Amino acid sequence: MVAFPYYEPSDIEALNAQAVILLKLFAGRGYRREEPSVMQPAEIFLDRSGEEIRRRTFTLTDLSGHELCLRPDLTIPICKHAVDAKVPFPARLCYNGLAFRQQPSRPNRPTQFFQAGAELLGLDDSAAGEREILSLSFDALRAAGVENFEILFGDLALFGALVDALQIPAHWRARLKRHFWRAGYVETLLQRLGRTAQAVPSRAEIETRIDASKEAPSAGRSRAEIVARAMGQAEEAAALRLNPAVVGVITKLFGISGPATEAVAEIRALLKAAGIKLDAPMQAMDARLKAIADLGVDLGRVRFTAHFGRNMEYYTGFVFEVWAEAADGSIQIAGGGRYDTLLETLGAGKSVSAIGCAIRTERLLTVKNGKGAR
Amino acid sequence: MTALTIAIPSKGRLKEACNAWFAEAGLTMEQTAGARGYRASFAGLGDVEIMLLSAGEIAASLLAGDVHLGITGEDLLREAAPELAGRIHLLCPMGFGFADVVVAVSQYWIDVSTMVDLDDVCAAYALAHGRRLRVATKYAQLTRGFFAHAGISDYRIVPSGGATEGAPAAGTAEVIVDITTTGATLRDNGLKILDDGVILKSQAQLAASLTADWNAGARAACKVLLARLTAKAGVLYPGLDGQLLK
Repeated sequence: MVAFPYYEPSDIEALNAQAVILLKLFAGRGYRREEPSVMQPAEIFLDRSGEEIRRRTFTLTDLSGHELCLRPDLTIPICKHAVDAKVPFPARLCYNGLAFRQQPSRPNRPTQFFQAGAELLGLDDSAAGEREILSLSFDALRAAGVENFEILFGDLALFGALVDALQIPAHWRARLKRHFWRAGYVETLLQRLGRTAQAVPSRAEIETRIDASKEAPSAGRSRAEIVARAMGQAEEAAALRLNPAVVGVITKLFGISGPATEAVAEIRALLKAAGIKLDAPMQAMDARLKAIADLGVDLGRVRFTAHFGRNMEYYTGFVFEVWAEAADGSIQIAGGGRYDTLLETLGAGKSVSAIGCAIRTERLLTVKNGKGAR
Repeated sequence: MTALTIAIPSKGRLKEACNAWFAEAGLTMEQTAGARGYRASFAGLGDVEIMLLSAGEIAASLLAGDVHLGITGEDLLREAAPELAGRIHLLCPMGFGFADVVVAVSQYWIDVSTMVDLDDVCAAYALAHGRRLRVATKYAQLTRGFFAHAGISDYRIVPSGGATEGAPAAGTAEVIVDITTTGATLRDNGLKILDDGVILKSQAQLAASLTADWNAGARAACKVLLARLTAKAGVLYPGLDGQLLK
């Protein structure tokens, strides 16, 4: 692959022919074609996606000084439009178009690539939504001529439910969930749980300390906000000594990775040993595996990784990647997941169930033609 | 025709420190006539041309391969190219131009003393205020790398042209990443450095561009120059021998 792809007539014809097949399949399932602008206001990405995506987003400034960007994905503009246009839910939307990403650490990766994808918004039955998107993804890949693929998946909701079930302070719950995808880092955080056990200051002591610094700039945070957090830290320090078993449960969960059926059994055993009941996420896990098997995928080709969470900050639950063999190794050809909080942050006024998938169509062709990827 | 170009800071304390350092090695700089102070040479080393540039331009010139050697701050080199490997080789720390690139917050934030605290505050701030906490800095690359390593993503970088330490008081940013030598300027502005907030302990470095034209003439001139400097600094330059002068 090259940083700036040049499409020969044959490449474009093959991509177009493939896009027609994918979009026809999406349309047949009731998905309406959307086409957002390539150029987007930068804020909607930068405020939703965090600094890592920001770093990889091409930005530019117009003559009035407004910050613009080349869309790093199509999900956010499509969801933003659905919110602004008050599209009735459930909404089924699909697209085929270019996305743009800088590749600071991998200069040979393309800075633009085609994606064909679908978004299912506002379907409250989350298991049904998952089934629908998985079915759509697998059938789209098969319709495009790729039958052999492997699936890697994770579930942020499982980890979230585990953290909620642990007797730890709310700060630590939020912190662990935020860093779900950074297994090594979370372990470092967990080690600190033991270290912060110190003498607990009183509210009066905290207030005296902050008032001694009142000459310093408040820098956007109120006295009440700072005192509240300092009190929280104090309570945390007092509470943390109580739970030495916490570290073990989370560390063991992160270690679980392997063929889906075995991995799910391992999670069950871990939860049972720790005396933790997580019925809802475990039932979702069973339903998921059954759905994948019903869709004609051999469960031997499905792997679960507990700390797999995709480095896109809007995912909130089930996440998956589809991989296939190219001439010089395995490459990711599709991916997707659940993002139940995105529409609310885009102005929907309430949380909206949402799940989607995106297919990397150039890579799909590479796999189909038996060529190397790089 | 000169064979080797070395870039040296054209003004300020770095320039004076460089001159003193070369003088100790017995090398005297002579202005090149008619070059308006932008070019010079060492007495007795006709193959070596000295270019007098700003410290920032030296980092850019080394990266571009426009000069063979250069002396500038490690902070500027690492900001210009987060991945130095294959582009710039650090030959020798100069022992002057010390400065730390640090993360600093208001002393009023009594609940924040580590990057983990800052991470909590970034996340809470985004929820409470509906926008991300702003970090004012001239070191966008270093900041991104360091914050990513600390697992912090709920923030935005606000480019700072100068007087970064004033940003929290002025209300243009909540946090800063800036250089400091003694910390006095930060303290005067009501700021404190986070306990684990030192991004880089920087000093002036003698650096080689790995993308410059290292032809036989350049290598020969470099050997002569470095032999003079080695005697002074008392160190060898394995990087040059291994990578450039073979």
